[in-house]
Amino acid sequence: MAPQSDSKPRQQQTQQAQHTEEEEEEEDYMTMNFADDPATGISSSISTSRGPRVGETSLQRHQRLRREAEARARPKSKAELAAEAEARREEALSRSLMAARPQSKGLAMMAKMGFTPGSALGRRSGPGSLSSQKRAEEEGAPSAEPGVTTSSKDDDGGRTGGGGGDGPVTEPLRIAIKDGREGIGLESERKRKLREAAEAAGERAKRARADETEYRERLRREREEARWAGQLAAAQKVAERMAAAAAGDDAGLRDGEGNDVGTTTSLVGETAARPLLKSIPVEWRGLVRAREEAERDRRMRYDLEQGLASRLPTYEDPEEDEDDKRALGKTARTMYVTADDLDEEDPELDEFEALPVDERLRRVVEFLRERHNYCFWCKFAYPDKEMDGCPGMTEEDHD
Amino acid sequence: MADSSKGLKRSSAETEGSQDSKRVKTDGGSNGKMGGDKYNPYLAHLDEGAHNGFKSPLDELERHKTTALQAVKAEDSDTNPWTGRPHSQQYFKILKTRRDLPVHKQRQEFLDQYHQNQILVFVGETGSGKTTQIPQYVLYDELPHLTGKLIACTQPRRVAAMSVAQRVANELDVELGEEVGYSIRFENKTSSKTLLKYMTDGQLLREAMHDHDMTRYGCIILDEAHERTLATDILMALLKEISTRRKDLKIIVMSATLDAQKFQSYFFNAPLLAVPGRTHPVEIFYTPEPERDYVEAAVRTVLQIHASEPEGDILLFLTGEEEIEDACRRISLEVDEMIRESDAGPMSVYPLYGTLPPHQQQRIFDKAPEPFRKGGRPGRKCIVATNIAETSLTIDGIVYVVDPGFSKQKIYNPRTRVESLLVSPISKASAQQRAGRAGRTRPGKCFRLYTEKAFKKELIEQTYPEILRSNLSNTILELKKLGVQDLVHFDFMDPPAPETMMRALEELNYLACLDDDGELTRLGDLASQFPLDPALAVMLISSPEFYCSNEILSITSLLSVPQIWVRPNNARKRADEMKQQFAHPDGDHLTLLNAYHAYKGAEQNGEDMKKWCHEHFLSYRHLSSADNVRAQLKRIMETHEIELISTPFQNKEYYTNIRRALLAGFFMQVAMRESSNSKVYKTVKDDQLVMIHPSTVVTSPYDWVVYNEFVLTTKQYVRTVTNIRPEWLLEIAPIYYDLDTFEKGEIKSALTRVTEKVRRRQAMKGGR
Repeated sequence: MAPQSDSKPRQQQTQQAQHTEEEEEEEDYMTMNFADDPATGISSSISTSRGPRVGETSLQRHQRLRREAEARARPKSKAELAAEAEARREEALSRSLMAARPQSKGLAMMAKMGFTPGSALGRRSGPGSLSSQKRAEEEGAPSAEPGVTTSSKDDDGGRTGGGGGDGPVTEPLRIAIKDGREGIGLESERKRKLREAAEAAGERAKRARADETEYRERLRREREEARWAGQLAAAQKVAERMAAAAAGDDAGLRDGEGNDVGTTTSLVGETAARPLLKSIPVEWRGLVRAREEAERDRRMRYDLEQGLASRLPTYEDPEEDEDDKRALGKTARTMYVTADDLDEEDPELDEFEALPVDERLRRVVEFLRERHNYCFWCKFAYPDKEMDGCPGMTEEDHD
Repeated sequence: MADSSKGLKRSSAETEGSQDSKRVKTDGGSNGKMGGDKYNPYLAHLDEGAHNGFKSPLDELERHKTTALQAVKAEDSDTNPWTGRPHSQQYFKILKTRRDLPVHKQRQEFLDQYHQNQILVFVGETGSGKTTQIPQYVLYDELPHLTGKLIACTQPRRVAAMSVAQRVANELDVELGEEVGYSIRFENKTSSKTLLKYMTDGQLLREAMHDHDMTRYGCIILDEAHERTLATDILMALLKEISTRRKDLKIIVMSATLDAQKFQSYFFNAPLLAVPGRTHPVEIFYTPEPERDYVEAAVRTVLQIHASEPEGDILLFLTGEEEIEDACRRISLEVDEMIRESDAGPMSVYPLYGTLPPHQQQRIFDKAPEPFRKGGRPGRKCIVATNIAETSLTIDGIVYVVDPGFSKQKIYNPRTRVESLLVSPISKASAQQRAGRAGRTRPGKCFRLYTEKAFKKELIEQTYPEILRSNLSNTILELKKLGVQDLVHFDFMDPPAPETMMRALEELNYLACLDDDGELTRLGDLASQFPLDPALAVMLISSPEFYCSNEILSITSLLSVPQIWVRPNNARKRADEMKQQFAHPDGDHLTLLNAYHAYKGAEQNGEDMKKWCHEHFLSYRHLSSADNVRAQLKRIMETHEIELISTPFQNKEYYTNIRRALLAGFFMQVAMRESSNSKVYKTVKDDQLVMIHPSTVVTSPYDWVVYNEFVLTTKQYVRTVTNIRPEWLLEIAPIYYDLDTFEKGEIKSALTRVTEKVRRRQAMKGGR
């Protein structure tokens, strides 16, 4: 039998649809009969019976049977088979025998001995039986429903209850099949991750399902967030500038230009101008870090494009003087200090960055007010802590 | 059981010793020391006052009033009180080591408790000597030669029963099978002289079926009760019941783990006596992360230990034969490389699992290899074992234990009727037991290949007792035979799931072993006489109706032993070719029979059977044990007058009859091919999708097969299958194949078609 890749049994690919019932009539191609009964879809055709259906013409029936035969005749892939076998097993494992119809003779015999469905076996009276009675009552309810009782009280490995110890069992032990050689704990770890991923996906799906108003709302929020992000960057720049200005004032030695240290100062000066990342207040540390990283990348690219000399910029020869350095293209401009701290983990910053953008903005604004008596919204540095004249903390206050 | 190892190691020396004693015996007889009156321990009580010159050291002892001192004195005497023969040199040598066992210090305490109580719970860690010593302490107090009531000591495993009996026979300086004997399924090594009997728990249970009150015994010791085997659980329930009727019966429940409280409260708050084992502290290490591949991780850990830890042997726990052999190979290869590259010490790697031939199991007791040169890196041995190394045998010298946390465990679910061995996480108790193996000789280390969190959260406290993991149809039949009326309220220590009992009753009813009222039928009574599963027993009993009881007897025996086919990794193709020589196109049952007939034929031709088996890739051990099983079963058949007949081989119905006879017992294990071009079968009534196990000889895609077992791994297989015809099902098992009880589906419609066909044919015949 030629393997068929198409899974739709309705397509008449198998003229040789061989089956035990030989001498099947030739398909009448002239009739436009699709027998489109949704109940006989592919999934049900596998499991449902072949008994006659109400309101089905003989032709329909004939076609349905043919379709089912085809579905059966199509060789299944290994994965399909495994999945089907597992599904079948799980279904059987989840179905209590107590509910089986016709009633089992075994159950009838046990009933004669005084067994009531839902209870456990074992000695009639005694310390353990009280709790078991209670458990039986709890579990009796679902098992009274036709068909299914759930026996998965515990989804990790399906081991219900503790091994021994607590009351007698009312349900058979679950069968948990382990494939592969994964160590203990890996499965649950993976399950946890999967669950988290599923939750995240659910979240996303929820968002995707947003209707029109939600869409507008989202657009608005996105615009808002973009605006806040711009403001945040601006506020951080202000904070940096003011910090530099303050540093210049405090030191008193350097001129107030602060930022423009340039070639005139020594290498040490360069690093001093950008203090260690961790010492920068977290409110605007991100700004510096992002800039430094961009700068580093740019320089690395630049260095790469330059000749050999500049490719080894960190090599520092104590013999060389200023002029040598300039001659070799090793002036402070191209000489960068490997910013070790750029590669360091910075949990404090990560935490800050994880905050929503408006919250970060609020924190920077507050930082500016407290440290520099500067209101970001008024764009004005007040002389004292009172900040007399500023309408308030938020942007709305300044409308 | 510290001594099982020593016992095994010494076995060669011991045989010499026993020969010695034999010679002494004959000498004694010719000397006429005891005159014409041969000493008879059963008549010892008549020898009041030693009038014939012989004074038994036991004369001073008064039953149930003895002291440790008296017993020690009797043991120290030159004459063996049980045989009347002089003690051998060997005896005193062993006696000295026995006196060093931890349990010896508490002999008096034990006797006091034993005198005061009917039931006693005894806890002794492995190595305390309880299995070998306690029964002897009881022997010197119970004095069974006076009462004629034996002492029984049960063991969960056949091998343990045999080896411990041998050991104790040596310790008592008697012949195995005389004063000390053993009894296991299909093998009984006892005699009328036997006073102390080691036996499997299942064997004692079988005896109880004919002797509901166990009147033969004065004291019953249930050893290794912590293993909670099915038979031990049933025995405990029975003994609990009997103890109220028979106040003279003493019961000792022995356990190796400290969770004895459960036993105590079950046995009317019986007192507890605990003997510490000889153990050293064990340091436990966990992995920081769960492992992706526990075998890989285990191999790595072993190598790491070898590279960096001081002297000491390694014990690695894995789950099964294939995994163990694979790991052994990998470790050996890696160690060779380590030796070449980094001057590591030598290491011998030994596998250990149940189906390994005994002489290979023995190798685990070999000494670790010497360093390559004096003062070089120490050599060590590494044993890769299943959980048989967990409690049942002790290997001295183990300092490092590697525990990936898995073992193969039997599991049964009545909803799908599948009983299978599945790799499952062990329990906390098992993990502790494994760790304890490292502290036998000196402080050790245990490397657990899982995180501490996983240990706490994912491992269950105790391994589930076997009764919760087994098909109970055999047990229920036994209980019925034992006269238990109310199975529902039977006092199980851990009652099984109601559905499991229900399924068992139902199956026994279909097999016609129980009637609709749950009473034992004649067939059921007969089936319970056979030490077989009910389906096998019923098949065997019904086989004369199919004119092939000889052949079914052979097949039954072959199905009762491990696989007879040998398929070594390095000669798979040859093995398969050889198997093909015996192949019968209709199925594996018939192929088994062919192989057996060939075996018997070669035997009659006087061939060297070991060689013959080796050449034909058959297991000599398993075939000869099948032969033995066959003889035992044949005897039972003869006592119950079950005819042994064969269809003449020339008759074309020869094989058909056998195939039909299989169905008489296995009609509940039938599968139908799902569709005409598929390899997938569906089991009848349970609707499980299965494939035929690749080991089969069946090549034609038969529509209907009967199978011997359902194997659940990651796939679902049926193993040992034979082609059958659906008409036979309706004819042989009409009640099970009552189509009204079938759920709608392909199987029902297929069977309906068959019914119609049969009816048509009969109508045609009738019309003529």
